[in-house]
Amino acid sequence: MDFDFFAGMFAQLLMGLPLTLNLGILALLGGFSLALALNLMRATRIGNAVASAYVFVFRGTPLLIQIFMIYYGLAGFGFVRQSFFWPFLREPYWCGLLALILNDAAYTSEILRGGLRSVPKGAVEAGRVSGMTRFTVLRRITLPIAIRQALPAYSNEVISILKSTALVSTITLMEVTGIARAAVSETWRAVEIFLCAAVIYLALSLLVTRLSAWVERRLSPWQFGVTP
Amino acid sequence: MPGDLTLIGFGPDGWGLALARAGLMTLYVSVSAFFCGLMLGTLIAWARVAGNWPLRKLAEIYVTIFRGVPDILVIYLFYFGGRQVVTAVGTALGLPGPFDISGFVSGMLAIGLISAASQSEVLRGAYQAVPKGTIEAGRVSGMTRFTLFRRIIAPQAMVTAVPGMGNQWQSVIKESALVSVTGLVETMRQVSVAAGTTQEHFLFYAAGGVIYLIITTLSDQFFRLAEKRSLRGHEQGGV
Amino acid sequence: MSLPSTALSIAGLHKSFGSNEVLRGIDLSARDGDVISLIGASGSGKSTLLRCIPMLEIPDAGTVTVGEDNLSPEGGRLTRGQESVARRMRGHLGFVFQNFNLWPHRTVLQNVVEAPLFVQKRPRAEAEEEATALLEKVGLAEKRDAWPAHLSGGQQQRVAIARALAQRPRAILFDEPTSALDPELVGEVLKVIRALADEGRTMLIVTHEMGFAREVSSQVVFLHQGLIEEAGTPEQLFGNPSSERCRAFLSGHFDRNR
Ligand SMILES: Nc1ncnc2c1ncn2[C@@H]1O[C@H](COP(=O)(O)OP(=O)(O)O)[C@@H](O)[C@H]1O
Ligand SMILES: [Mg+2]
Repeated sequence: MDFDFFAGMFAQLLMGLPLTLNLGILALLGGFSLALALNLMRATRIGNAVASAYVFVFRGTPLLIQIFMIYYGLAGFGFVRQSFFWPFLREPYWCGLLALILNDAAYTSEILRGGLRSVPKGAVEAGRVSGMTRFTVLRRITLPIAIRQALPAYSNEVISILKSTALVSTITLMEVTGIARAAVSETWRAVEIFLCAAVIYLALSLLVTRLSAWVERRLSPWQFGVTP
Repeated sequence: MPGDLTLIGFGPDGWGLALARAGLMTLYVSVSAFFCGLMLGTLIAWARVAGNWPLRKLAEIYVTIFRGVPDILVIYLFYFGGRQVVTAVGTALGLPGPFDISGFVSGMLAIGLISAASQSEVLRGAYQAVPKGTIEAGRVSGMTRFTLFRRIIAPQAMVTAVPGMGNQWQSVIKESALVSVTGLVETMRQVSVAAGTTQEHFLFYAAGGVIYLIITTLSDQFFRLAEKRSLRGHEQGGV
Repeated sequence: MSLPSTALSIAGLHKSFGSNEVLRGIDLSARDGDVISLIGASGSGKSTLLRCIPMLEIPDAGTVTVGEDNLSPEGGRLTRGQESVARRMRGHLGFVFQNFNLWPHRTVLQNVVEAPLFVQKRPRAEAEEEATALLEKVGLAEKRDAWPAHLSGGQQQRVAIARALAQRPRAILFDEPTSALDPELVGEVLKVIRALADEGRTMLIVTHEMGFAREVSSQVVFLHQGLIEEAGTPEQLFGNPSSERCRAFLSGHFDRNR
């Protein structure tokens, strides 16, 4: 085994980690906000239809096509090129981030919806009859139960988005996978290099798994016999 | 400016036929990968439920790895790595190069192996959702393990498994777009080529999106039907 | 007149869960036609004892005999050969669970014919005819095509009894067959079991229904912390128990129930 090569490779790939994390975290933040908005929209008939269509399109097509559509496709429109957004939309970084946000929002909104639907009606009614306002019920009862319920699915989504950031390497971004690809085209040692990259992502996902297990414990002490 | 719809039609300048063929290729890769994943996923689920300690651990590690590594890296590994291995072996044997491996096979295997991990989780969950008492009732009536599986466990597990497997199939379709990096001409690859050639990026990526939506929607209908069938006898909140 | 032969017997049965020794040497046997009630406090090991007979729990030591077959498992597991003996033994037993455990994906009739068809490989026509008769006997002939989920608990338990009978068992084991039922549904199930006793069926019944046990049993066994503390006819055991613990247990029970 060529130890120096691996050590050097890891050091090189880790230079891409900040960008990977940057994209992943911002995509999750943006995606969650948009997902929340989509769920609030569902209160009206038209809003519900729009939200459903949005989810249908973004969950029904591959992320790769969404990235290309935004990076290459939008530039074909004159009004896009003349708009305020153009300085952003011609940057691969912003296009990649936008695609990740839009994609994550579709999946997260479904996860959130499932969590909200799982809140027992009785729990809400019990809040009401004890004199809580609608807002208090939402804050003290509905959301805590819904979030607790949605957590396992959401932690999968977090891992999924971290993995998805690898796709922006196709539009020239030099995050972990982008660096790996560049290194492969220089050295042709594909197996070693991609394995190194895989290890980095694996470590990230294990970290998320651990973290979410910890949060889950914190959020539902009654299931684990933890004394408050 | 996007406009010329004849470009995606079946006329002389149209890419319609190529797109249709690419759509079929997407289906073809996806179906192969899905069944690949189903076979391996069943084995893994079985190992996790009924295997001995080392087998269980091995299955667990497999699932952890394939759920933690980006799909595109797995495909790269299979394609470029496969080529590297084939080249090394070929050179060692003194064969004339250059060496290459099929994008279809490496892509199918990569996606199949990825999907196996998630499919095994669906199957394991479905098994665990079967009420333990109904299994005991089968055992005390003297059923063999095989009869127990065929008559009691499988039909009940199906109810939980079908929607989950539907989701896995949808993921496989979307993951199949990644096989385009190997040069295999499926939908994603074909629309990229067409977009580059005609400079009608928006039009062709939209067409690609529609092809995927058609495939995902139709298969969704199919799985819903299957779910309805598997629900016989489980009418929720019935009479 | 020849004595009835032994349908079922248990000798020197031991069973632990981890460090918890639940059964500490049980000997018990039932001749054809016996109705044995097992009573005892919750946690005394009644269910475990019953579940050891068809090897749902594998005993750590001891021998279980059903008809011609017997098993003496060691080390808490069955060998391949023993596994097939166990299957044969199970085929000669009926088991009725506290929670019915009907198969939700099969109709009432399908539940009853499942083992005759797929374990005993009997012809369908014959199995269905017999099943229909059994359903009639438990008073559910008109429910033959219903799904289990659409039945009340009492009805489900009666289907479970018909399902156990369909195996033409040498003996039937009941684990608290009425404990999961609403009080008003207990009677219909007890009535069915009583009718089986009158037919001369061999049965082992774990129950907390003391009045019922007194009425149908040929023998009553009081279990305490994994040992048989006292056994005898219902008259002896309920009328004049010799063990102090048994007396205390019974008085507690009759006080609560009456
Ligand atoms: N599968 C099991 N694993 C561990 N402990 C068990 C198991 N089944 C029963 N026990 C323990 O064995 C003891 C006897 O249980 P059981 O036979 O169910 O008693 P009973 O039916 O008389 O109430 C209890 O202490 C119970 O906790
Ligand atoms: Mg019990």
